[in-house]
Amino acid sequence: MLALVLALALGVTLGLLTNFSVPVAWLTYLGVAVLAAIDACLGGIKASLEETFDDKVFVSGFLTNTLMAAFIVFVGDRIGVRELYLAAVVAFGMRVFENLGDVRRLLFRRWGWE
Amino acid sequence: MLRAPYRPALVLVFVVLGLLIAVAFNTTTRLADARPGRSSDLVDVVQSMESQRDELQDRLADLRSELAELEKEAAEDSGVSNSFSRELDRVRQSAGLSAVSGPGVEVVLGDGTEVAQGADPNDYLIHDTDIAAVVNALFVGGAEAIEVNGERIVATTPIRCAGTTVLVNSARLGSPYVIKAVGDPTSLETAVLEDESASLLFSAYKNQYGLQVTLSRSSDLTVTGYRGSMRPQYVRPPGGGA
Repeated sequence: MLALVLALALGVTLGLLTNFSVPVAWLTYLGVAVLAAIDACLGGIKASLEETFDDKVFVSGFLTNTLMAAFIVFVGDRIGVRELYLAAVVAFGMRVFENLGDVRRLLFRRWGWE
Repeated sequence: MLRAPYRPALVLVFVVLGLLIAVAFNTTTRLADARPGRSSDLVDVVQSMESQRDELQDRLADLRSELAELEKEAAEDSGVSNSFSRELDRVRQSAGLSAVSGPGVEVVLGDGTEVAQGADPNDYLIHDTDIAAVVNALFVGGAEAIEVNGERIVATTPIRCAGTTVLVNSARLGSPYVIKAVGDPTSLETAVLEDESASLLFSAYKNQYGLQVTLSRSSDLTVTGYRGSMRPQYVRPPGGGA
């Protein structure tokens, strides 16, 4: 758990120190990418708690989800339906909360609170 | 507290998540810094400067009429300054500082009303170049005094595009533009209608884009005097005079 918090802090620090920013037009992509990353993180924690974690599944899932989300945003931009990115946001959002619930339950079981 | 088999891949994605959040934060911070205020600040500056200009113009007009009063008084005192005073009036009239009346023409240039589907809306507007073309044609026709929407054309008058408006002297004007010129009505009309670019307004552009363009002769119209300041900073008589 500590390693993950440190990793998150490291990423934030790196980003803030380099003060790297993207063009305004990319903000939607960035938002979807953040959601995809949160989803992947929670999914990863859940899988490790269930002891079914697999590097290949995890990384390929993270990449394909992010790319598909970016593609949906891109298509939405092209065909003039900006709101298409909401599809990705809703899907990721739901998964984030589902995974969060699963992680919570798994932790309870592990700590013997159930 | 939690001893699960953490994988490098999971740690890596956490680093990526942190990076993404930081980048999003940087971007929104940059936006918040750059965006608000600037354009509204500029609008404020323009508005305050415009009201300042109006005040100064009013004061200039007051001072000028005061000066004219004093000159008149002085002229009544002695015969010598009387002739000077008449000379001054004549020069002032030639420079465009006083209102003048006489026969002439009135040209009205208005934007087209209906923009056809898919057409360039710019084609349906009156531009600074159109006004300049008409003014030049009127001068060719021997106009002695010209005003555009109450702005007298003098030697230092610019006619140029300023966003959605046209700048004449220091006033921003909008359609319709009423151009009044004092001169021989017949030759003024001929000059405008025979001018290469001004005549297009009355034929091709009028028919094609529905511009509201008219030209009417008048036996008596009044052209206002120049209200701006005339205070040369650099010009002086040639030969190094003071």
